Amino acid sequence: MDDVVRISGLAKRFGDVTAVDGIDLVVRAGERVALLGPNGAGKTTTLLMLLGVVGPDEGWIEVAGHRLPKGRSAAMAEVGFAAGYLPLPERLKVDEYLRFYGQLYGLPDPDVEAALDRFGVAHLARARGTDLSSGQRTLVGIVKAILHQPRLLVLDEPTASLDPDVALRVRSGLQALCRDEGTTLLVTSHNMVEVERMCDRVVFIASGRIVADGTPTAVAESFGGADLESVFLRLAAADAPERPHERSQETERPAG
Amino acid sequence: MHVSWLRVKAVARRHYYVLLRAPHRLFDVTIWPLVDVLLFGSIAAFVNPGHATAGRLAAGYLLSGILLWHVVYQSQIALATGFLEEAWTRNLLNLMVTPLREAEYVAGVVLFGMVKLFMGLAVVSLTALGFFAFNVTNLGVGLIPVAAVLLVAGWLIALFVIALVLRFGTGAEALAWGILFVVMPLSGVFYPIAALPWILRPIAEALPTTHAFIAGRALFDGRGLLWGELGIALLGCVVMGVVVLWFLTRMLWTFRARGYISRYT
Repeated sequence: MDDVVRISGLAKRFGDVTAVDGIDLVVRAGERVALLGPNGAGKTTTLLMLLGVVGPDEGWIEVAGHRLPKGRSAAMAEVGFAAGYLPLPERLKVDEYLRFYGQLYGLPDPDVEAALDRFGVAHLARARGTDLSSGQRTLVGIVKAILHQPRLLVLDEPTASLDPDVALRVRSGLQALCRDEGTTLLVTSHNMVEVERMCDRVVFIASGRIVADGTPTAVAESFGGADLESVFLRLAAADAPERPHERSQETERPAG
Repeated sequence: MHVSWLRVKAVARRHYYVLLRAPHRLFDVTIWPLVDVLLFGSIAAFVNPGHATAGRLAAGYLLSGILLWHVVYQSQIALATGFLEEAWTRNLLNLMVTPLREAEYVAGVVLFGMVKLFMGLAVVSLTALGFFAFNVTNLGVGLIPVAAVLLVAGWLIALFVIALVLRFGTGAEALAWGILFVVMPLSGVFYPIAALPWILRPIAEALPTTHAFIAGRALFDGRGLLWGELGIALLGCVVMGVVVLWFLTRMLWTFRARGYISRYT
């Protein structure tokens, strides 16, 4: 199986604060991975380094076989990104916005309508970004991220502002995408129930380090909890997070 | 480095939509050029009311100066505010996670900026002709290389402003307009730099725009194109370009190293 993401010895400090502290991670093609952890654990910083937006202090990252930062443009052609907190540019209509991003990914005439239809929002094509609800914005953001059929879909808190009905639609759409097209998913979320339903692997980060990595069930068991929420609460409560007895699924350390 | 024409066109089209949907942006290419021509044309008419030749001369200096100044202004404002639009609409992260390269982004904004430049210059030329009988075409084809140097100078000033915004955040955005208020008097847009206080003259001499405006005034005086001044202006642009591109690259590196993207999410 191909490795879509290879990260080795990744570290990032902002002044005196260590945001990421030596992360090694390999994500294989077709995996659905959740990056979990309390606020400030280093999830978003890790994602932003993976996306080439923040430069690491130590370590290296390879995305779809391209080493960052030199191969950033080629790597990002294989990646789609959406975040619940990102707005749509207010001066663009939805179809203009999607066509614009499609062209940035090399699609001269992307099938915007079909992509919107996948998440049941084709009727929003001529709406302006400012006229959308936060849930609709999130859906359109995800459509933007999958328009070019990326190998890796990175989602930062995709369902944070969604009601259960829309969140279900997002989850179903993403599951169908991963199943039908073999898209690799890397997602951060604070919704543990959603993660258990959507992902086949969870990676817990605390204080910038990976403290657990495995299937949702195996990780919960390794912490002696019944579910991921209990693991999350235990990690969030701990001042200095301790590693569990052993990782349920050893993270493969990339060579090189 | 491979540059994608599709991505360049996409960025240009995105900024076309911005102009279309934000009527206040049209002020830069319609109202301000109109106001500038009215202001400087009227000043010329006022200071020389009874002296037809001197009045025509003054109006010519002022109007040819404002025409050429708008080349700098429009090219600078189009690029700087184009980038700021991404900051204001929190679109930077969206762009930075695509395959779009920095050079492609700049090329796209510059491409649509050229459309805005021609709109602005058309307003200046037509207003000058209609209200003050000043015909731009009388300056001849020598105007083209002078304008080309000023165009490049405008882009370089904009890239300098963008570098400052990357480093200091949108607090530095006032420079998008403010920096032109410094460059304009120092460049001798309407007068020879001998008219400046002596202490400022060395700074003025060092600006490529100053030498382009000297060449522009010579065209109006009928002295033809001063290739020497144009060459100095071009050389100045090359030096300025090297310094600005180094500074921009450095600030982009700092932006990534310090995670300043968090200012725009």
